[in-house]
Formats: sequence, C-alpha cells, structure tokens
Amino acid sequence: MFFQTLVTGLAIGGIYALMAVGYSLVFSVLNFSNFAYGSIIMLGAYIAYFAMVKLGAPIWIALILSIVGAATLCFLNERLAYSPLRKRRASSLFFMISAMGTAIFLENLVYALIGAHFYSFPEVFTRTNLSFHGVAIGVLDVFAIVFSSVSIYALHMFLQKSRTGIAIRAASYDIQVCSLNGVNNSALIGLVFALAGALAGVSGTFLGMKYIVYPTMGWITNKAYIAAVIGGLGSLPGAVVGGILLGVLETFVSAYVSSVVRDVFSFSLLVLLLLVMPTGLFGRYLEEKV
Amino acid sequence: MASRPVLDLRGVTKLFGGIVACKDISFTLPAGQIMGLIGPNGAGKTTAFNLITGVYRVTAGSIRMEGEAITDQRPDRIVRRGIARTFQNIRLFRNLSVLDNVIIALDCHETYRLGASFLRLPGVRRRERALREEALSFLGSVGLQDKAAVRADAMPYGLQRKLEIARALALKPRLLLLDEPAAGMNPEESLDLARLVRRIHDQFKLTTLLIEHHMDVVMALCERIFVMNFGVQLAEGTAEEVQRDPDVLKAYLGEGFKRAQHI
Amino acid sequence: MLQYVFGVISLGLIYVIATTGLAVFTGFTGLFSLGHAAFFAIGAYTAAILTYFYGWNFYLALLAGAAAGGLVGFLIGYPTLKAKLRTDYFAIATLGFGEAVRVLLENLPITQGARGLPGIRGDTNLPVLLVASAIVIWAAWNLIHSRHGRAAIAIREDFVAAEMMGVDIFMGRLRSLTFSAACAGLAGGLFAHYFCFIQPSMFTAYMSTQMTAAVVAGGMGSISGPVIATLIFIGIPEALRVANIWRLVAYGLLLVLIMAFRPQGLMGYRELSLDLFKGWFRRPGKGGKP
Repeated sequence: MFFQTLVTGLAIGGIYALMAVGYSLVFSVLNFSNFAYGSIIMLGAYIAYFAMVKLGAPIWIALILSIVGAATLCFLNERLAYSPLRKRRASSLFFMISAMGTAIFLENLVYALIGAHFYSFPEVFTRTNLSFHGVAIGVLDVFAIVFSSVSIYALHMFLQKSRTGIAIRAASYDIQVCSLNGVNNSALIGLVFALAGALAGVSGTFLGMKYIVYPTMGWITNKAYIAAVIGGLGSLPGAVVGGILLGVLETFVSAYVSSVVRDVFSFSLLVLLLLVMPTGLFGRYLEEKV
Repeated sequence: MASRPVLDLRGVTKLFGGIVACKDISFTLPAGQIMGLIGPNGAGKTTAFNLITGVYRVTAGSIRMEGEAITDQRPDRIVRRGIARTFQNIRLFRNLSVLDNVIIALDCHETYRLGASFLRLPGVRRRERALREEALSFLGSVGLQDKAAVRADAMPYGLQRKLEIARALALKPRLLLLDEPAAGMNPEESLDLARLVRRIHDQFKLTTLLIEHHMDVVMALCERIFVMNFGVQLAEGTAEEVQRDPDVLKAYLGEGFKRAQHI
Repeated sequence: MLQYVFGVISLGLIYVIATTGLAVFTGFTGLFSLGHAAFFAIGAYTAAILTYFYGWNFYLALLAGAAAGGLVGFLIGYPTLKAKLRTDYFAIATLGFGEAVRVLLENLPITQGARGLPGIRGDTNLPVLLVASAIVIWAAWNLIHSRHGRAAIAIREDFVAAEMMGVDIFMGRLRSLTFSAACAGLAGGLFAHYFCFIQPSMFTAYMSTQMTAAVVAGGMGSISGPVIATLIFIGIPEALRVANIWRLVAYGLLLVLIMAFRPQGLMGYRELSLDLFKGWFRRPGKGGKP
C-alpha cells in the first residue's frame, strides 16, 4: 500500500512538476501568474484525446499534436491578450484579469461547443499494472514519471546550454537589462510561452490519460501555484521539487485520510506557507526597491 | 529649553544578504536643524531613509525619535509619529487629482469613525469640508492652488516635485525627510526649490534631513552635513568643514584630483 | 409579462447588492476575491436556517446573514491580508477558501448537504430589494467619499506611497473585505428568500466570476459603474434568452477585450463616479460664470 501510494504520488508529482515548471517559466520572466495556463493544459488534453479518437492516431502522435497545439495556443494567448498590456506597461492586476478572462472564455467555449461530457482516454497500454516485488504498479504512472523526468531534463539542458536558454534565464532576473543587451524581448517572451505551452501539452495529456477529460480540468493548475510556492516563487528547480513534494503529500493524504480532504489540505498548505515561509525552499530574496 | 534630539541614529546597519547597504551609521539631529545627507550614488542614503521610515528592517542598531525608539516599527505608525518623507522617484498617486493627493495626507491625523463614514453624519460632512480647505491652503503654500483639480501625473515634473513636498507637509510632521528634491532640475529651479525648503523650514519650524546631489542646494541650506560612502560614515560637520575634508574630496573627486593639486 | 420583468429586476438587484460590496473591495483596494460566492452562500444559509428552523423574523435573519458573511470575511481576511500576499496569491487563497466553504456546506448536517434546503419563506420582494440596494449603494458611496474610502483608493494606487501617507494597509484592506463580505451575505439572505430553495451547487465560481466581471467592466474605482454593469449582465442575457454557458464565454471575452482596449471599464478610473453624471448634465461652458 505504501509503495503503491508512493508510486502514484510520484506520478502525480511528476505531472504537477511539469505544470509548476511551465507556470514558473512565465512567472519568473513576466512576474505574473498566468491564470489561463490551466485552460491550455485542458486544451492539450482535448487535442490528444480527439487525435486518438477521431483521427485514430497512436499515443505518440497524439502527444506530439498536443504539445504542438498547446504551445501554439499558449503563444497566441500571449500575443493576443498580454502583448497589448505589456506594451502599455500595464500593472500586473490587468494581466491577471486578462488571464482570468482567457481562462473563462476557453473553458466555457469548450463547454458550449463540445459539451460537458467526461471523456475517457482509450486504453493505451496492454497491461495496466506491472508487478514489482508482489506490488501492483500502474504502467501509466511509470510512464508519467519517466516522461516528466525526460521533459524536465530536456528543458534544463536547453536552459543551461543553449544561447536562447541562457537568454531566458537572464530575463528571469531582469528583463529590461536583457533588451538593453540586444535580446529581442518580444520574441523571447513568445518563446517562453510556447515552451510553457509545450509542457502544458504533456501534462494535459497525462492528466487526461490518468483521470478524465472535461472542460474545467484546468483548475488543477491551482496545484501548480501551490507547488511553485513550496519550491519558491521564481525558481524552476524549486517548482520541480515543489511539484513532486506536493504530489506525494497529497496522494498520501488522499489514501490514508480522505480524498475529500485532499484539496482542502493543499490549499491550507498554501496559506500556511505564505504566512510562515513565503520564499519557499529555494525562493529568491525579493524586497521591493523603494 | 533643552529638548531631546528629533532624530538619533546609533550603529544602524543594514545588510541585504551579503551586501552591506549601511554599516554603523550614527548621527544626531537636534530640533529645528536642517542637515544634509550626501554621498556618491549607492552610498546608502536612501537606504538610511528607508530604515528611518520603517520600509526596511534594520539588521542592527537603533533609531530614536525624540527619545523614543522607532526602530522596525510599521511605516504608517512612524508617519503618524511625525516623520514625513518624499521619494527619489516621485511616488504621487498619479491617477488622482492634486487636491486628493494632499487630502489623503491630511487624512493621516483625521479621526472620525468608520460608522460615521457609512452614515455620513453631519460631523463627517463638516470635517470633509474642512479637509478640502486645509488641503487647498497647503497647495497654496507651494503655489499649486490653481492646479487642485488637475490629475497628478498631468503636471510638469517640477510641479509634481512641489506636490510631493506639499503632501509631505500636509502630514504635519515634526521631521521632514527630503530625498533628492532637486533631482532633474536646472540650477535656476534648484535654487527656487532651496528657497522653498528654507521657507517651509522657517514657517513650520521643521527639522529637516535632506539627501541631495546638487551641492549648491546643500551648501545653501544645510547647517550640518553627514557624508556617506559605501554604506559607512565618511565625515560629519559644518559645510565648510566637510568641503575641506580630504576623505570627502577623495570620494567625490577621486585620487586624480589630489595628485593634480600638487602639480 | 410584467411579473417576468419584475423577476429579472429583482434578481438584478440581489446581485447589485453583492457586486457593490465587491466593487468596494476589488475596485478600491485592487485585490481579487475569486471565492466571493462563498460569502453569498454563508449569508444565504444563515438567513435560511434561522427563518426555517428557528422561525426568526425575516429582517433580523437578513442582518444575521450579513453579519455572518462579514464575520467570516474578517476571519479569512485577517491571516491572508496580514501575510501581505501578492494580488495573485491572495486570489488563489480566496479560491481555496471558496472551495473549503463548499465542502463544508455539503457536509454539515444542518445544511442538509448537497440536497439543499427547500421550502424557505418567500419574503423577498421588489420593494424590499429596492430599499436594500438603495441602502447598500448609499453606504458604499459614503464610505468611498470618506477618509476610509480614500485610504482604500490610496492602497490600490500605490501601497508603498499609501503607507508613507500614514495609511494602515492591513486595516484598510480588511475593512473593505469585511464590508464586501457582509454585502454578499446580505444578498445571499435575500436570494434564499427569493428562490425559496438553496443548495451548495448554486454558489459556484460562475457567480464569483460574474461579480468580478461586473466590477471590472463597470470600472474599478466607481460604484455606479459596477451597478450598471450588473444590471446589464443580468438583464440583457435574460432578454435574449441566452444560455448560461454562452454568457460565460461572453464574460471571458469581455474581460480580455476590456483589458486590452479600455481597462478603466465603463465609468473609468474615477472615485467620484457621480460627478460624471453631473458633468453630463452641466451646460457647455461653466454654467453661471460670466
């Protein structure tokens, strides 16, 4: 039971980590919480689902389509909704409202056009459980863990080694200095959103496979916010650690206490952290210059 | 009449992680004096202001106002004790009118209760009228009474600076902290500002601490000057003393100046 | 037909009361409450339980509902505002809170859980609503034009500068939140006695969303704007018989468009919103002066 819960926890943690990293990428560069991110994740799931069901595509193709689709949508969201605000140097309040509006728009558009049905992904794996030392472990969970790790590692390599990646990391410290150093801020931001979108595609697909696809599944990004706070706002490694920790803790609470309490637990954890340790585990020292 | 110094800093230190913003800063400001706080950029002057007004917490040391400790108190409490400051980068309420900016400052010492606000009792109405008039008179003291209805950020830079000062005055402080009030002004405007500060000081008997880079303003106004560099005290004394201090000359003008002198 | 129109107006006025409160909070302190429907629900259940199970007088029950909402608002606000959460994290915390209240309402015996409370007395009628909304709007207007209102505006404009003007940020925000929660509670009580049946699923994010959208569209910094926007949001879809889902799609899109093109909303950034009306009626060229 313990081991099973742990594996499930890690799988969920991996997905949370993906979402948290995608969220933190945007947060660290633009200093705002993209409330629309959840709806991108949801659309990623829908794209993968319909690719498999309507187009008969195998899971790999569905995943790729989801990644590409979500990346494009996230990028478009930035260009259409946030760029005008950036150009006007609007305060973060306006970004938040715009993000909320986008989320509400997308969620309900899906509701209105596709309907509120819950869609279940078709079976992907021939065997649902592996047997490991006599304990049943979900194959999907293993895949989720592997895939999340690979994605995060790939992103890490990109950020560390490539020129664009370094530019992104620089932007997360001070975006204005970046443009003074010749970086095309608009293009960079667009890329950051596209990357976040790609991560959303992966997490959305796995969430859809593990659970169900439905229009408001995007609310799960609340977990991403919590994970980001645990790990420390603005820190990408922190987001990963936070995501995994949250996934594992939550799953244990759900298994050993009650699943109803699970979400209340997570939110309480959030409030507690923000009261007691707002910089999280790896957060940067942020004091406003007056 | 011996009175306690309006401001007394002892051993004030502020560290940001590994960066030393202020180290062991100590000085005393007696009532009614205008003191200048000068030093190259990054010397820690604005940090000192932020520590005095409670925006930052001290890492070590104590700050006293008229004998009572105000170290690490909440900024709004310190303001109500009688310290007002202006900002290096003007921080007006840009979307509000000039008059509203001053009224908000006057609200600081206003005391009518929340319940009375909800019901808009006659007492409240009277106080509101009185506040408006008082605000207009403060605007008058800096020459802005005609701009009362104008949006704060629609005014030219020089007038915005004056509004900053009017706002600070409306807080009815016993100590006024001015952070580079002449920044961005040409020599004529700076002198105008210096005269304004002198007039305010004399009219309201305001103890004043002034950060400035315009040396003509500093020398004209300040009875005493405190010099900082890299977060530590460099010199302290009257204008003449400080102008002749070799450490000060070196910090401001560099080694080259000294060498050049000897040629 | 007339009955139908009165019905729409009544519903509109109920929401006007709640939205006016939210306008004071969001519009004037600049913080978002995404869980405001929770205060609405608390007021509804408190008033309904008091009249249904304990035979209380309708008006006293309404006051109790408002007080309950306000009290909970104060309790929630105290820790979250003390922690000086950033706007987005405060919003997330309120979201969590809304979720927690819903879970509570579904599981407490006295609220009869998800089945809801039927058979509530229909004491709410148009005259009551007209008087109640007039009182709330009048009180809100008075608040805004007092030193307490100015403090809230200062906080929204620049909270660092506000602190330097002697404004107690924490108390200013807490006061606004408590007032807005009490308004929502009052509206909830009126709601319960209008529909005569309440259940937890009626108080959803949809409701919070609509209220926030009305505040933004009406103009943050005005009382009249959100009132007008609320009446439009309730009235027009009813008149056009638009389904709830498409309303939400429209709200979402509206928020994005408003932020992009007219962030000040309908009434603009004015705290003295009625002056605008006076301006419209003033004759061209200052009347009277030669």
